[in-house]
Amino acid sequence: MTTFKPGLVHTPVTPFLPDERIDFDTFAKLIAFHLKNGAESLALPMHPGESVSLNDDERRELLEFALARVGGCVPVIAHVSQSGTGVAAGLARHAARAGAAAVVAATPYYWTPPAGMLLEHFTQIGREAGIPFFVYNSPQEMGGVKVTTDLALKLIGRLDNFAGVVDASLDWQFMIEVLSSAQRVRPDFQLLTGSEYMISAGAIGAAGMFSSLSGIAPGAVRRLWDLCGKEEYEAARPLQEALAALRQAVKPWGVAGLKGGMRCLNRECGQPRPPLDPLGAAEQEKVAAGIGAIAALRGEPRGW
Amino acid sequence: MPLVLRGVMQAPVTPLKEDFSLDLPTLEKAADFHVRTGATGITWPYHKSESLNMTIAERKAGAEAVIKVVAGRVPVAIHVSALAVSDSLELARHAQKAGADCVVAITPYFWNPSPQAIYDFFVRLGTTIDLPFLAYNSPGYLSGVEITGELLARLIDRLPNLIGVKEASFNSEKFLELSRVALAMRPDFAMIAGVEYLLPSIPLGGKGSYSSAGAICPNLVLRLYESCANRDWAMARECQYKISRLWMIFRDQYPSSLKGGMVMMGRPVGPTRPPLPTATRERQDYIRGQLEEMGILETEPHGW
Repeated sequence: MTTFKPGLVHTPVTPFLPDERIDFDTFAKLIAFHLKNGAESLALPMHPGESVSLNDDERRELLEFALARVGGCVPVIAHVSQSGTGVAAGLARHAARAGAAAVVAATPYYWTPPAGMLLEHFTQIGREAGIPFFVYNSPQEMGGVKVTTDLALKLIGRLDNFAGVVDASLDWQFMIEVLSSAQRVRPDFQLLTGSEYMISAGAIGAAGMFSSLSGIAPGAVRRLWDLCGKEEYEAARPLQEALAALRQAVKPWGVAGLKGGMRCLNRECGQPRPPLDPLGAAEQEKVAAGIGAIAALRGEPRGW
Repeated sequence: MPLVLRGVMQAPVTPLKEDFSLDLPTLEKAADFHVRTGATGITWPYHKSESLNMTIAERKAGAEAVIKVVAGRVPVAIHVSALAVSDSLELARHAQKAGADCVVAITPYFWNPSPQAIYDFFVRLGTTIDLPFLAYNSPGYLSGVEITGELLARLIDRLPNLIGVKEASFNSEKFLELSRVALAMRPDFAMIAGVEYLLPSIPLGGKGSYSSAGAICPNLVLRLYESCANRDWAMARECQYKISRLWMIFRDQYPSSLKGGMVMMGRPVGPTRPPLPTATRERQDYIRGQLEEMGILETEPHGW
């Protein structure tokens, strides 16, 4: 299968109206913003895009809308994680037909299946997708269920379109083990880092990066990405530290914090859907103060 | 002169006789071997040295033996973590009296202490001795109990003799939260990776590491450090992938398999104390096969 290299992947939030409907007008502006601010691919709706709070019809509609707006400018990766294997596989089939360039799926929500069933889950999703397929490893978010190196090797044996692992564990032990082991049998196997900790990931050999902070600071994200691409890690360290500080500034409030950070840069995307709490005025001030304290982010674009 | 820690420091395992009693002459040989093969520092007894399976009296005897045989060639640190705080303090006082250069202590075991309790513990330790010391962070083994950036800042502010952190989360976010805080306060602060994950940590400001593989393949370990220091990332990846593969073999029931591997390198150190298992003959043969496949049997020193 042809190698698809997602590179720097922006993961947009999903804007909502006060009545909780998807705000497609703002979403159109947001997509345009990501395209003009350094995205080499988009992945959506990831967890920062509140995938779990969208119903299946909305996920399909959102993906189709994004594909139409992107109009082939960059590849779009569809996030199809679901609890049920069949439901996730259905989303994967839809994504491939709709024109997504690739599909990404995490371990199932809520369940903690044995290794054999996890392999079956991903195999079915990957088969239905038929296009490049990435597995998302995020044990902290998924009840401790991990993508193991053994699972990755078995998926290579089963799926020609299994393209790699997006890793949100940030665990060096796993990242090195999975990349070095998988590349021995599939040389174009890719490791992508699931957040902006690109220096360590790049040194290890990661080929891509998912970034939700690109909604706030796309300039710093892009400069970090470019420097790491040249393996200029020393020069990249101040940016890495600035983005780490940004992550910590929004992290206590999750998606609401991320959207609050975007609000500071005049990119209003509304509040998250329940059951996530909206960001209160006091918390918004804390987010603003946190971001304001990061000197390296002062040149970031404001508005759309 | 202030103590500056850098490079790859080694921690000898604890050699035992067949009746599981301490084999001090072989411990001296092991420490000497590490110094002769490039260790920039020696620390004993880490968990790798079965610290918690020894009596306090045994730990003192071993510390004296190690300090004597190293004889000032490189700095010696004594790991003083014990279940009871009073034992840790006693071991720290003993280390100072015996002529150690530094001590190391992990966050307290078992109790899941609060951040304030961790702070109080390190302040008590740091003010009990005049020696420099390292705080040891290992959330993976201690139910998530960890030193956060905020806590580390308070400790650095309070304790002039806190010169570094042994960081064993092996996680980009956790390492960076500590390194960016510490290096901003003290540029010479020693961020030391728990085992030789040098490739992902040196570009984040790491000064060096401890080591799991130094008793097996000191040449490879040195080459990894030098290639990181020289920014030869391609060579560093090659070395790091091999050493990570070894760590995957040794990590489980550490140091049983490491001790088994040492037999294959002509440096037998006896059994491992219960409740850890001793590597069986079959396990040793498996490790031998792995060492052979990685070219380590031919390229690394045999015997003491």
